[in-house]
Amino acid sequence: MIDNTLRLRLYRSMLEARYLETRAHELFLQNLVKGTTHLALGQEAVAAGFGNAMREDDYTFCTYRGHNHTLVRGASMTGILGELMGRDCGLMRGKGGSMHLTSVEHGAMGSYAIIGAHLPIAAGAAWSAQFRNSGQVATCFFGDGTTNIGAFHEALNLAVVWKLPVVFVCENNLYMEYTPIASVTAVPRPAADRAASYGLLPIVIDGNDVEAVHMTACDALAKARSGGGPSLIEALTYRHGGHSRADPAKYRPEEEVQAWLARDPIPRYRAQLLELGVDTQMLEGIERECMAAIDEATETARASPLPPTEIAFTNLWADGSASWRN
Amino acid sequence: MAELTYREAVAAAIAQEMRRDPNVVFIGEDVAAPGGVFKATLGLLDEFGPRRVRDTPISEQAILGAVMGAAMTGLRPVAEIMFSDFFAVCWDLVANQIAKTRYMTEGQCSFPLVIRSANGGGVSFGAQHSQCIENWAMAVPGLKVVVPASPADVKGLLAAAIRDPDPVLFFEHKALYGTKGEVPDGEHVERLGEARVLRRGEDVTIVALALMVPRTLEAATVLKREHGIDATVIDLRSLVPLDARTILKEVARTGRLITVEENPRACGWGAEVAAIVSDEAFWDLDAPIKRITTPHLPLPSASNLEDAVIPNVARIVEEIRSSMD
Amino acid sequence: MDIVMPQLGETVSEGTVGRWYKAAGDHVDAGEQLLDIESDKAAMEITAPATGRLLRILIDTGTTVPVGTVLATLQSDSETATPQFGAASGHVPASAPSPAAQVRANIVDVTNTSDPGSAASGPRLSPVVRRLAREHGFDATALRGTGREGRVTRRDALLHIAATRNTGLEGAGQARPLGPDFLPFNRIRRLTAEHMVRSKATSPHVLQAVEVDFNGIARFRAQHAVRWREVHGHSLTFMPFIAHAVCRSLMAFPHLNASVIDNGLRLHRNVDLAIAIDLGPGGLVAPVLRNAQALSVAEISQRIHDISVRAKADRLRPDEYSGGTYTLSNSGTFGTLITAPVINQPQVAILSVDGIRKRPIVIESASGDSIAIRPVGVLAQSFDHRAVDGAYSASFLAELRRLLEAMGEPGTATDALADEFGIAP
Repeated sequence: MIDNTLRLRLYRSMLEARYLETRAHELFLQNLVKGTTHLALGQEAVAAGFGNAMREDDYTFCTYRGHNHTLVRGASMTGILGELMGRDCGLMRGKGGSMHLTSVEHGAMGSYAIIGAHLPIAAGAAWSAQFRNSGQVATCFFGDGTTNIGAFHEALNLAVVWKLPVVFVCENNLYMEYTPIASVTAVPRPAADRAASYGLLPIVIDGNDVEAVHMTACDALAKARSGGGPSLIEALTYRHGGHSRADPAKYRPEEEVQAWLARDPIPRYRAQLLELGVDTQMLEGIERECMAAIDEATETARASPLPPTEIAFTNLWADGSASWRN
Repeated sequence: MAELTYREAVAAAIAQEMRRDPNVVFIGEDVAAPGGVFKATLGLLDEFGPRRVRDTPISEQAILGAVMGAAMTGLRPVAEIMFSDFFAVCWDLVANQIAKTRYMTEGQCSFPLVIRSANGGGVSFGAQHSQCIENWAMAVPGLKVVVPASPADVKGLLAAAIRDPDPVLFFEHKALYGTKGEVPDGEHVERLGEARVLRRGEDVTIVALALMVPRTLEAATVLKREHGIDATVIDLRSLVPLDARTILKEVARTGRLITVEENPRACGWGAEVAAIVSDEAFWDLDAPIKRITTPHLPLPSASNLEDAVIPNVARIVEEIRSSMD
Repeated sequence: MDIVMPQLGETVSEGTVGRWYKAAGDHVDAGEQLLDIESDKAAMEITAPATGRLLRILIDTGTTVPVGTVLATLQSDSETATPQFGAASGHVPASAPSPAAQVRANIVDVTNTSDPGSAASGPRLSPVVRRLAREHGFDATALRGTGREGRVTRRDALLHIAATRNTGLEGAGQARPLGPDFLPFNRIRRLTAEHMVRSKATSPHVLQAVEVDFNGIARFRAQHAVRWREVHGHSLTFMPFIAHAVCRSLMAFPHLNASVIDNGLRLHRNVDLAIAIDLGPGGLVAPVLRNAQALSVAEISQRIHDISVRAKADRLRPDEYSGGTYTLSNSGTFGTLITAPVINQPQVAILSVDGIRKRPIVIESASGDSIAIRPVGVLAQSFDHRAVDGAYSASFLAELRRLLEAMGEPGTATDALADEFGIAP
């Protein structure tokens, strides 16, 4: 059931994600974030809707476009921004970078940069939960392009055959990197139209309607948790920016971009909340708090030192060492 | 002591560890009900049941993804990749995911998993089912690589690999499955990263792996008997962790190093050993380091052709003999 | 051909390049002066060994280099120039203050591979032969080789070294004398020397010692020595008792079971006790008893015995050599009074156990002082003053002594030993 407490949490989650990604973008322009980043601006509803439906000890796996997913599980903003800026306070002390944000203590079991790789890994975590009878569920987020790679097929098939407690969520933002997904996929709905191949129901949702996402998430998680096996969900959404920082996304038609910006999940939900009678001041208060949190995290991360060079030579093995020979 | 075949030792090791630790699980293609295409895992399904011993679809990426996900969430899984050549199908999971994730996350997770596989040739299975690929694994930082030559080492090293908190690629040799050897009774666990000196002689140090170990021992006997050349033979047993210290020590004693490698020549494990010795024991060398290897070719199928390229006893004897003064 | 830095005196290991009289590219005549060199013992000129062209000057004026360093290369006019020994053939100026009777060139590379004119006549010298020649100061090219194409093999070089050592002075067919008063370091000696110097340079060593009355332990041993030997196959010495007490004391004084890292002290949770064993020509090894703090006196005794036997038979495992957190050194077999041992880096302390001998000591009691004869030995600890101060080390030693002197009493380690052993304490 959705009540106002949950609604405000959903709103806050989306805002934090939006502010985080926007800040990441700004820091990149200031050359404080190096390398590359893949921003999920515009896709906050999927992360927020699912993240707030999970159990604390559930597992999540996401792609390199995973800042939001990691944040929503409870990882600190300072840790995330620190990792992007390559500082010692980063979630992985700068050893992973933007594409690999991980916070195992929060169940965020990693962001994966090879397309499709994490689907079978998520299935593995689900298998472990099933084996241990823990009731945990693994949720795996990936893009539309992933549906065409081999690991997608293998993971779905195995998950269904072993009836694993895993939820596969395809964030279809219509573009596989720079190419429209429709032009490289044999079926119109890249995830939903493959579901039947695995005996699963096709599920397509408006990925920018956070409450719809949340409801679908609850259903899928409950199904998995009770031993009902996996689900494959296609959430339609859109990214505001390019594939990565290097991409100005000029390949998308202007009308399409405008139409989707008009369905930006955050202003849309804000309007919805006001219509439901939520107080403007309450919302403004949340907005202020989120912005303050991001600002504080930014300052803390900026003040954090670079990671000491010694750590480049540690933690290859479980005992913390890194030597391959005597 | 009991006499076991190399293949029996595989099942014995897995069973030993599965009895000891309820979190050890085992999956692969045709490993449960059929007991493995090489019959190396017979009896495990019967003893431990389908919850812990599972047959999978032909999905190498899913198999390795499954053990990676399970290992990072509390289980100690063992996976089989039927023929080591098939690693090429799922190399992303091995090299990019399993090997790198602990390092990238600065130690947030660890991967106590074992991937065992039938490696090597000499049984006319053709190029795509016969290659030695342990050097591929050695080249990826973050993987331990174990290559046993005897049933006792299969048992002891596989047990050690399962107990190891890091990912281990365990390369069994398909041509050795039928060989027999004495295996200690009761719980038998070896240590990774320790080479074993099987024979000591003053004239030359030979380092070998897997199938090349028995061939080298036989060659050493011939060399002594017919040419008066007395060789030290080292079974390397692990490529990672590498027991460089033992190699350097034995090279210092004899002044000569020969490697006997079944892998295709370029970038074989012996090239790394040779580089280490030429760097760290240069002033102990009395002769150039020699590598006896399969040439840099895919393996032909016909038995006589295969035997012409994979180092056999006669070739090992001749190449060593002609390298001596 | 190479012009090398010669040895300007028996104990001299380096020399300084003085003035160059020729430049790269210059023609030189045999015997013409090339440069001056000097050490703190002597000065001399180096002349061209052959007529030809000075190709390259490698070491500049004012630079000090080790003996044997190539200073310059020279291309001789003669096509079939045979390898020479560098130009320093015995020219010691009469005014030289050096007491050295002869100058020796310490040859590194006699066959000059960079000079096509004097391309090696026959096979080259292998790295190990060159090293042996350098270490033992002989000219390898002058040896008769038994290898392929007359190559001088490692065996040839080793036999030569053995032969000249036996004869003491110059052997037949040898161009350069070894000399009876010079014993070149072998590899083990060299490595030991380097480690010792480095340890002293790293840790400010302070020596502290206590005298321990070993009476309790001695009595226990006397009672049970024969039985112990029957059961365990080796003697029960003082060492296991001392090792056990050391571990207990280290648990109470953990700063001595540590390493100095990054301006801080890294404490080690377990005591991995290294026991120094002298292998004679094989050098000193210090194999490690892991988690020694968890072992009983009996277990320690078995393990020490086992690793000693294996160390002497060269059968130690790779992981037994490394990782010790504290070292015990038994100097006592020769009856010494006290030793100031060198710390085994990266540890911060080492304990020497010296001779245990009967001595008269004073026993205090309520009814007055008396003299008794007791087996007494000195335990001397060298500690790294970066890690701890004298008071801490002294407290550790006091505790160690207390534990050892209490042994034999009820409720101490000897009780447990007796229990295990099935004997009355």
